[in-house]
Amino acid sequence: MIEKKIRIKNSAGLHTRPAATIVKMAAKYKCDFFISRNGMNINGKSIIGVMTLAAEEGSELVLTFEGDDEEVAAKEIVDFFERGFDEL
Amino acid sequence: MIEIDSKSISRKEFITVDFFYKLAKTVGKLELLSKNADLDKKISDHNLHRPGLALAGFVDLFSYKRVQVFGNTEIWYLTQLPEDKQKKSLETIFKFDIPCIILSNNIKPLPALLQLADEYRVPLFNSPHSTTKLIYLMSDFLDDQFSQRITLHGSFTDVYGVGICFVGKSGIGKSEVALDLIERGHRLVADDVIILTKKGEGILIGSGTEITKHCMEIRGLGIIDVERIFGIRAIRYQKRLEILVELEIWDASENYTRTGLDESTVTISEVELPYIKLPILPGKNITVISEVIALNYLLKHYGYDAAKIFQNKLSEQIKGKNTDTQRSTNYFEHDFE
Repeated sequence: MIEKKIRIKNSAGLHTRPAATIVKMAAKYKCDFFISRNGMNINGKSIIGVMTLAAEEGSELVLTFEGDDEEVAAKEIVDFFERGFDEL
Repeated sequence: MIEIDSKSISRKEFITVDFFYKLAKTVGKLELLSKNADLDKKISDHNLHRPGLALAGFVDLFSYKRVQVFGNTEIWYLTQLPEDKQKKSLETIFKFDIPCIILSNNIKPLPALLQLADEYRVPLFNSPHSTTKLIYLMSDFLDDQFSQRITLHGSFTDVYGVGICFVGKSGIGKSEVALDLIERGHRLVADDVIILTKKGEGILIGSGTEITKHCMEIRGLGIIDVERIFGIRAIRYQKRLEILVELEIWDASENYTRTGLDESTVTISEVELPYIKLPILPGKNITVISEVIALNYLLKHYGYDAAKIFQNKLSEQIKGKNTDTQRSTNYFEHDFE
């Protein structure tokens, strides 16, 4: 299991476009992917789940990957968060 | 078997008096009496407290963090004190950082109480309810606020009044099953993100989130609003969770129940629930099976367990050494019913 703590960097936060990109990225992999924030732990492969987080700039999230291809999945998704969803 | 991650469980640390007043105002018939109140004070305990002993001077174990309830006893005790002692007695509790005070039975607040409440900026409410009823109502509200909340990924539906939650891997078709059930007249509670709240002992109430309401994602379509499409009959806001159904791709090595005698259960937040593992196969109509799950649950609830009755019949026949397979009707007279 891989657990990564990340912070939202872009000013628009985790809005619809990045949320859709994240679930599409996650759906390619077999591993389970969860995002948690303040006691909410949602499935990162569900668009409704990711949007429910309503994560604003500066908010802290914990990403969890578990499964055979967790490393590749974590690399791609964490990288997308680090790049501020290409909106920086 | 599904597992609940500790990250999915949360509990509120506190609520502000302002929040408490807004939400509990109607049920508790609360009225704010003090003019200079700090409504940002925090309530961090779900219990209530009657500060009789503290007013009498014993403050060693004073639960000052709780909502304080003044009933007839407290007021009567204060009224019979001379004015200076009355103020001193009240000051003993105001020196602590109490969140708020509620007076029951519509008791008129003593002038000293009003004055001190304003001075220490402690919100003072009154309520027409009797003390017992007020404590019951406010405890119920606070218990709910401070109870454990669990987020669960799945689709939660009300099928014939039975709360069935479908869980399973992303993309297995939970939302599609829910949609099919809605089309057949059942109701959606929440999709994708379900928040379970423990209510009392042994009950989990599920609901959706404020932001998603009754929206649902269907692969290939995107996000749809179930309430708008199917109307009010297709939704409900809360439902007790009664059965957990896990959908999975048929696995030949998995041991699926054949008789239904070996009931599995799953425990979520100390609540034990019936748990059914349902393999998905071509030609298998999960929606109809879900309806049967609900109806069978109702039958069992009313005392009829088909698997057990079948088992008993079989034992009787074996005991009676009647090994011939009997036709259900011994003699067909004509082609009549």
